Amino acid sequence: MENKLSVKDLRISFKTSNGKVQAVRGINFDLAKGETLAIVGESGSGKSVTSKAILGILAANSIIESGEIIYDGKDLLKISEEDFHKIRGDKIAMIFQDPMSSLNPIVRIGKQLTEAMLLKGKARQRESRSTFNSYLKSLNAAMIKNNPSDAERLTESCKKFDKFEFKHIELESAFNSAKEAAEENLDDIEKIAFELEKKSAGKDALDRLRDISKQAVGSLNTYVIDPEKYGGEIKALSSKLLPSFKAGRKNSEFESTLKILYRIRDISDEAVKKPVPNFFRMGYYLTFSGKELPDMPIEKMNDYLKEYLDKEFMLAFISDAEGALKYSASETYKNMREAISALNAALPIYAKENLDRKESYEAQKSLAAVVKKAIDPLAIVKDSLSFTFAPSLKSEVDSYFNGIVANRKALKKYARDKKKYERIIVSGKQAGWELAEPNVTDLELVKENISRLIRRLIDHYDEALAAADSRNYDSETVDIINFLMTNASGVVAKVTRRIAKHRAIKLMDEVGIAEPHKRYRQYPFEFSGGMRQRIVIAIALAANPDILICDEPTTALDVTIQSQILELINRLKDERQLSVIFITHDLGVVANMADRVAVMYAGKIVEYGTSEDIFYHSAHPYTWALLSSMPDLDTNEKLEAIPGTPPNMIYPPKGDAFAPRNKYAMQIDFERQPPMFKITDTHFAATWLLHPDAPKVDPPKAVVDRINRMNAKREGAK
Amino acid sequence: MENQETLLRVSHLCQYFKAGSFTTKAVDDVSFDIKKGEVFGLVGESGCGKTTTGRSIIKLYNITSGDVIFKGVRICAGVKSYKDAIANAKKEYAENIKKPGADQAKLKAELDKFVAEQRENIKAANNDQKNCDKEYSAKKVAEVTKKYNELISKAEGEEKTRLEAEFKNELRKAKNTKLVTQIQMIFQDPIASLDPRMTVKEIIAEGLVIQGEKDKKVLDEKVYEMLELVGLVREHASRYPHEFSGGQRQRIGVARSIIMNPELIIADEPVSALDVSVQAQVINLLNDLRERFGLTILFIAHDLSVVKYFSDRIGVMYYGKLVELADSDELFAHPLHPYTRSLLSAIPLPDPIYEKARKRIVYNPLAEHDYSVDQPSFREVRPGHFVQCNDAEYKKIMAGLEAQE
Repeated sequence: MENKLSVKDLRISFKTSNGKVQAVRGINFDLAKGETLAIVGESGSGKSVTSKAILGILAANSIIESGEIIYDGKDLLKISEEDFHKIRGDKIAMIFQDPMSSLNPIVRIGKQLTEAMLLKGKARQRESRSTFNSYLKSLNAAMIKNNPSDAERLTESCKKFDKFEFKHIELESAFNSAKEAAEENLDDIEKIAFELEKKSAGKDALDRLRDISKQAVGSLNTYVIDPEKYGGEIKALSSKLLPSFKAGRKNSEFESTLKILYRIRDISDEAVKKPVPNFFRMGYYLTFSGKELPDMPIEKMNDYLKEYLDKEFMLAFISDAEGALKYSASETYKNMREAISALNAALPIYAKENLDRKESYEAQKSLAAVVKKAIDPLAIVKDSLSFTFAPSLKSEVDSYFNGIVANRKALKKYARDKKKYERIIVSGKQAGWELAEPNVTDLELVKENISRLIRRLIDHYDEALAAADSRNYDSETVDIINFLMTNASGVVAKVTRRIAKHRAIKLMDEVGIAEPHKRYRQYPFEFSGGMRQRIVIAIALAANPDILICDEPTTALDVTIQSQILELINRLKDERQLSVIFITHDLGVVANMADRVAVMYAGKIVEYGTSEDIFYHSAHPYTWALLSSMPDLDTNEKLEAIPGTPPNMIYPPKGDAFAPRNKYAMQIDFERQPPMFKITDTHFAATWLLHPDAPKVDPPKAVVDRINRMNAKREGAK
Repeated sequence: MENQETLLRVSHLCQYFKAGSFTTKAVDDVSFDIKKGEVFGLVGESGCGKTTTGRSIIKLYNITSGDVIFKGVRICAGVKSYKDAIANAKKEYAENIKKPGADQAKLKAELDKFVAEQRENIKAANNDQKNCDKEYSAKKVAEVTKKYNELISKAEGEEKTRLEAEFKNELRKAKNTKLVTQIQMIFQDPIASLDPRMTVKEIIAEGLVIQGEKDKKVLDEKVYEMLELVGLVREHASRYPHEFSGGQRQRIGVARSIIMNPELIIADEPVSALDVSVQAQVINLLNDLRERFGLTILFIAHDLSVVKYFSDRIGVMYYGKLVELADSDELFAHPLHPYTRSLLSAIPLPDPIYEKARKRIVYNPLAEHDYSVDQPSFREVRPGHFVQCNDAEYKKIMAGLEAQE
């Protein structure tokens, strides 16, 4: 499966007046496409902080100590705020816990729903255009390098591509808005006709009918509703619609109105079912053949145009593109080999006892240049590691040299404080404050991070080189053409206010809000808790994100609504291939939603596995404690509450953070932090109990009993 | 649990809210008993009136109609039912009198008698609604006076002055006593329900202070005792609520309610806002207190697993009506009302294989019931198991139950 998001060694602290709170202490996880990852833990375990870091909305007093959050070839921790605007809400969206505080109380629901669509719509168009241009440019450059003698022809063909793409955009844009209007009309007509048949037209019926008549005219387009054939009729029908409704409303007689509506519906229905012409091919024909389009049915025309396009342009272009791709790949491989040797050469520089400032920065700069060269400009899937290498390396080197200065200061301060403290103690008084440990950067760790960074890239290049022979250039060329076409269509997808409204109403319908037309104009306080949460979900989905982060979306809701919301999220996930990060402390909900589960405690992931692993074969005492502290329908004995409270993260414990509350704790738990032990390929847990030398411990009775009970029930059901 | 005295009886409780011309029936004709020492769970989705029921019982609202009887004393009474009865009788009278051969004098006499009866009822209800606390405190005052008069008459010298001072103190307390203070409430949100500008000691002692306790020493001792009881320490008394975690705050809320030595606690979603692990701590605490003091608890919640674990009997509410009431095991084993079934099917359990296959049953009252002719009522289908149903449904349920046996 394709990895959408990976979090590597993330550490986040917060500066407070009492000291530095270490909220997240080195967590790693990956999120695949279409997968739900649940993060479970008590409040204060760092689950919300993690999700906020992914969305780039951490509080101002946060410090990101180390780590990477890699999404789409970018490290989200290091990109600028402007770049984040393109991702936040658009690619990664979030559903917050409290629907009331995440909605604006004085703005109507409709506006809140469409606001983002309208803003993002423009931004997306711009972005598609720039991606298209820059990609075509690099493709052209690679083509010319591959075949320098033919430079003029190649540039010409790329220009041609751009030119007829424009024509194609024009046609497709007109077609899209007409077709959308027709589809929209079908939905609307269906609903209002139902009401009229029952003679129960609401107050807003007139407005809706006005919309319908407007849209009917708006859907006239050569390829949707043929203006020559139906134009006159549609115009006549839509002008008659409102008067007939007004006349009929007095005595609830809607016969004539319904008749008009059904006629419009039939026409729209026919239009929607028509095959879609291929505008890409059409664009080429219209731009370069100098002839009118041949008069034939759309399907036949599509084939005819394909033949024409292939013969005149496409086959040559594809072979050029493939050549360019091959050339660019071989260049990249060459650069990669160079990069490997450069990286290997740089390793000893960063392995010295004390790094040399000048040498380190020079090496960093030259490595950045070398790695940048090793990025294939024609690769569609971005090589995250190469892209993030330069900024990561720079920030590590920075933190080393800044650390030296900061450490000196911190040690000085510590020495001063210590003297003062001892003086107070010697004089026999009680100090009103505690002597805090000096806040020192571990320089060795930073050095280790640097060499790990370099080694990881070397390994990555080795893998890429090994896979070089098995690449399929044919299919990759097709991908490139498709990529260009998708981006060109992205430029087309203009979001007008009307389209946004229609989409918003469709979304509201999709998330299960009854009477969306009426609800669209209401304020948040007019909705109940469950409905508000649905609105929040609709807003999150409005931009069609890749990743959805749900921060306790159902904690404030009751069971039935919770169940509906979970079903909704699950359904949307399947339909849209969303990746979901689901944060909650309710294990029942986790069982329902999660494909994989990460259990967090005191800023660390203590257990990680598929939901079956966690619920049936849990291995960490904290997971056991969570499972046994939750009553189910068959629990009768006293609940096993987890004693005590989570540790103070200003002074995180030296050993396992859970040890003081853990009845299975051993001496080593208080002294050393347990590493992640691998149990199966998918299941990991950080507890010393899994060490080969540890005594064998059974999970608590409540957990074992429950698992047995569930198995028995399942057997019984069969 | 058999043959225990009834501590609280709620009968035909209605609570309507008027918003302009529109009336919201938040609670509509709800009746149930709570026996001494039991935990009665009230479940339902948000907006179904469970919280309103709890608040009506503790007299935070003036109820529209029905009675709430606590320890044999009517503490809440509504008058709408009587007024409706009068209006109905008058309407009937107006119709009957038009019939040919109607005995006008007799009908008029009947009507007058009926109206007079109902007016009497209204008067009594209003009196109880207003004066139940006064009567109770008068009773208390009489008791205290009697007790101390005897003691003082026997005592002499220093003992006498001490007793007189004590008597004064007790008398003041008795005068301020209210019957409803024996019902206490624990609220859902431990952050919003504690005054951020009061120390924990002030919060916990506030009830006693209002009741007239002035002795600092007694108050302190009481507060410390309560803090230890709920698993906090003495040092916490001088802190402010924001210094505590969610679970600890809820403990403060519990301490505040039990310091009044209540007989009935209305716990309005006390654990909904808490983490799983803390939730278990609070539930265990409530369980301990219940065993220790023989508390009776009205437990309002929407988490069915918790309600099932904690309650002896459960009432299910839907849109202001009580639709099913039974022992908790019985309710979960044999849910009879379709809404209960739908509710049970929505509970998430920590079992992924079961969860992935779980199908929620959708409850659609319009499709489920036909109440156009035959009105439903609350009927007992098994000993202790009540369901809201009409005649046809009742027959069906009984047939189903027989088939099971």
